[in-house]
Amino acid sequence: MMVVLLVLPLLSALFMLLWPRIAPLLALLTASVCSLVALQLLLLVSQQGSQQVLLAGWPSGLAISLEANSLSSLLILLTALLQLLVGLYAFATHRRDKLGAGFWPLSGMLQLGLTALWLSRDLFNLYVCLELLGIVAVALVSLSGDKAIKPALNYLLLSLFGSLCYLLGVAILYGAYGVLDITVLASQWQADLLSSTALLLMTLGLMLKAALWPLHGWLPAAHAAAPAPVSALLSALVVKGPLFILCLLWLQLAGATQVAAVAPWFAGCGLAALLLGGVSALRTPFAKNMVAYSTVAQLGYAMLALGLLLRFNQPLFAAALWLFVLAHALAKATCFLAVGEITATLGGKRISTLKGASQTMPLAMFAFAVAGGSLIGLPPSGGFLAKWALLQGLWLQGGQLFWLLVIVLATLLSAAYVFRAVVLAFNRADPVAPDFAPRILPQWLALLPALAVWAMALYSEPLLQLLKQEGL
Amino acid sequence: MSPFWQQYLPLAIILSSLLPGLIIFTLKETQVKLRISLNLFGVGVKLLLVLLMWQAVKAGQQFYFSLPFLPGADLVLQGEALSLLFVVLSSVLWLATTIYAIGYLEQSPLRSRFFGYFSLCVSATVGLALAGNLVTFLLFYELLTLATFPLVVHRGTPESLAAGRRYLAYTLSGGVILMLGVALLHSLVQSPLFTPGGYVAAAISGNEGLLMLAFALMITGLGVKAALLPLHGWLPQAMVAPAPVSALLHAVAVVKAGAFGIIRLVYDVFGVESMQALQLAQPLMLLAAVTILYGSWRALAQQDIKRRLAYSTISQVSYITLGVAMLGPLAAVGGLVHLVHQGVMKITLFFCAGNFAETLGIHKIRELNGAGRRMPVTAMAFTLGALGMIGIPPTAGFISKWYLGLGVAEVGQNWLILVFALSGLLNAAYFLPVVYRMWFLPQTVPWPAEQRLSNRFETHWMLLLPATFTAILLLLMGLFASTELSPLSWAQLIVEREFRHD
Repeated sequence: MMVVLLVLPLLSALFMLLWPRIAPLLALLTASVCSLVALQLLLLVSQQGSQQVLLAGWPSGLAISLEANSLSSLLILLTALLQLLVGLYAFATHRRDKLGAGFWPLSGMLQLGLTALWLSRDLFNLYVCLELLGIVAVALVSLSGDKAIKPALNYLLLSLFGSLCYLLGVAILYGAYGVLDITVLASQWQADLLSSTALLLMTLGLMLKAALWPLHGWLPAAHAAAPAPVSALLSALVVKGPLFILCLLWLQLAGATQVAAVAPWFAGCGLAALLLGGVSALRTPFAKNMVAYSTVAQLGYAMLALGLLLRFNQPLFAAALWLFVLAHALAKATCFLAVGEITATLGGKRISTLKGASQTMPLAMFAFAVAGGSLIGLPPSGGFLAKWALLQGLWLQGGQLFWLLVIVLATLLSAAYVFRAVVLAFNRADPVAPDFAPRILPQWLALLPALAVWAMALYSEPLLQLLKQEGL
Repeated sequence: MSPFWQQYLPLAIILSSLLPGLIIFTLKETQVKLRISLNLFGVGVKLLLVLLMWQAVKAGQQFYFSLPFLPGADLVLQGEALSLLFVVLSSVLWLATTIYAIGYLEQSPLRSRFFGYFSLCVSATVGLALAGNLVTFLLFYELLTLATFPLVVHRGTPESLAAGRRYLAYTLSGGVILMLGVALLHSLVQSPLFTPGGYVAAAISGNEGLLMLAFALMITGLGVKAALLPLHGWLPQAMVAPAPVSALLHAVAVVKAGAFGIIRLVYDVFGVESMQALQLAQPLMLLAAVTILYGSWRALAQQDIKRRLAYSTISQVSYITLGVAMLGPLAAVGGLVHLVHQGVMKITLFFCAGNFAETLGIHKIRELNGAGRRMPVTAMAFTLGALGMIGIPPTAGFISKWYLGLGVAEVGQNWLILVFALSGLLNAAYFLPVVYRMWFLPQTVPWPAEQRLSNRFETHWMLLLPATFTAILLLLMGLFASTELSPLSWAQLIVEREFRHD
């Protein structure tokens, strides 16, 4: 099953290159099939526990091994579903937006890279996935044409630098231990200077790739320059890949002393991301930059949750971490698609383009507001569930008033930037041309993930069950 | 013993306004008839369902509907006496306001959006009333903020956008603080169902500080909507909203949501004994008393009709808080019944203010000279509402103040009598001159912007009917206070169930 999930996107990407004319059809077909298979996998894992596959019949230790636990299968399902949705959106708008034919095979490769990343438990395989993701992401950003060249190049260089840092760390570990499988490595782990250096190098590289504060500088320009469907994929999924690896490293590999040393730094970075990212989102004059800065800020929650998890080892923080990741993925996909649709239809890049959008494009604006509600963390959205878990964890620890204050501030900041756009949308609209007819289908597609994230209340119980199974 | 559909009754009551609202969003501006019929259909169904529930609850039945949500806190809708008090109030006043809004917004743009959010707003209010535990309450509390915001900024003018921003800044901050408090309480005692007598008593020893913190956080969060003293700044500004919205905001939806939340918190979460053990009542009482006087004092200085009414709301809603904070059964009856009475009275006053503004273009109090002759029915309704606010028999306002006064005597906080007397005087001082101007001063200048909205009546019948209806209602509630149908007897029933446990 896992092999199907990997081979199918690869094959379809190849066929897309051969027959570019049916590429959209192939992409949508692949994404739908993958979604179904991912759902099957999730059901299987939730009933029978983690599944492991050794590729090509090699014995353990030699073969590339794939391991699906409940979290990875959840992420795979999310990836496939978002690919399907974004594919539909891209197909519905590709004439108007002049999306390059390269989008389809590249998005197939993106799905391959992500799925492989969620399944790998080997430091080198993870490196390969990271590298693939980075290059595909850069190529996708550059689809926007000339204006995207600079941010794309910037992204490429930093991404390569990040990969190199990571690879260096992997090499040090391989030199010292001779194995790269995470479980095996963890059993032989010694918390000495060498392993600390390796961990730090890898962390640095991953933070750069995940745009975690203070290494986030490349993200707003790159995500804002990309075409709307690409930004949606990048913000929703791609930055989560390195974050996933980071969690693997610190939760499964690192020794207790190393964890204790780094936990406050992670929490501090999360705090800075939340506050500074929020302020930047509030101040930027461009619509897509606002959404991109909001990604920086929201990743701060994940970072904060990770820092607190490392420090207190309280399972609630793990739930909060992954709920943030899931809720943010869905909400951010909606944000980028909705804002992209509005700016493309009304013409303009600034936030002031949204003026009166509640009258001219009510559906897209509604989608943005609903997704914004989850970013703020209003009940019953997924963002609320995550925040609730975080708050519960903090109150249960006791004496964490500082962090509670930070969360309040961050919530208010996110409310401020979301409602800055929403208030503009409730302005009286400028008169539009008589033949003004926004398309309905893309707006509905933008709305779907937002509805899914608000409906999380309905499936929060099984979701929390799944996340609880997780040993991570 | 209860058929299975009864389980879904609370949900159906919410859906009866939510679904029409969602459909209304998709309608075109020109589909007026369909929109109006959908609206009225929703109102009708809701009233019918509420009637059903009312009869069952009176007979001692309880309704319960739940969905899994958070660990230790399901989404629970519960129909019992207290929730029904608020449900009945909002459903009946929704009927009046819907008719009023249809008349008020005739020919204005963006009506589908308006009525869509209007229905969402009522759904959120009813959901808040039916919420069975704190987490569910929090959910609807936030939804209410979101649903009312588009109504406040409906006109899209710079002032209304500024007011909307301010409204959001206050209410969202309040929401976050409330969430913090609810989360703290949840981490201490989970979030069980609201229970008469509260559920924190078992956890008091050892957690006094945290419980007090939780209470303070939640009162702050609720106090924003209930317009308690330092948190009231959004309310006077929100006056730029269209008249039906102001009416709804002040009488049913937002302000009342805060007051209702305080009632829940004091009686059904902490309970009288824990409140006394933690000594939480005294500060709350003090805060409410100061708000009452401050609101009245500020109202005195306002020259704009709606602004004066807004400050009057700040003062009057705190009567509810005060009645609750006194922790005596009689005072509780007074506070609860004032929740209903204040709603009906204030909605009457706002309907009338809207009528004057729409028909004659009057916004300032000094322009009202002689309005009683031009619009006698509206002026009569306004007079009744004003007398009610002052607390003159036989209006409804007298009943609530009577019970509040009895409550003061009962709990022995005699200084509060002074507060009531002073506030009553101030109420008279800012309402009676208005009434005097309408009836006894001759018209000196022409009406600012007169419109002929009807050939037979003084104004459009859809504007006149709701005001008359609520004015008669407030008179009836005062005259027949001792009968079984009155809000008073219902409040007594609630208090009886509430205080029975001790």
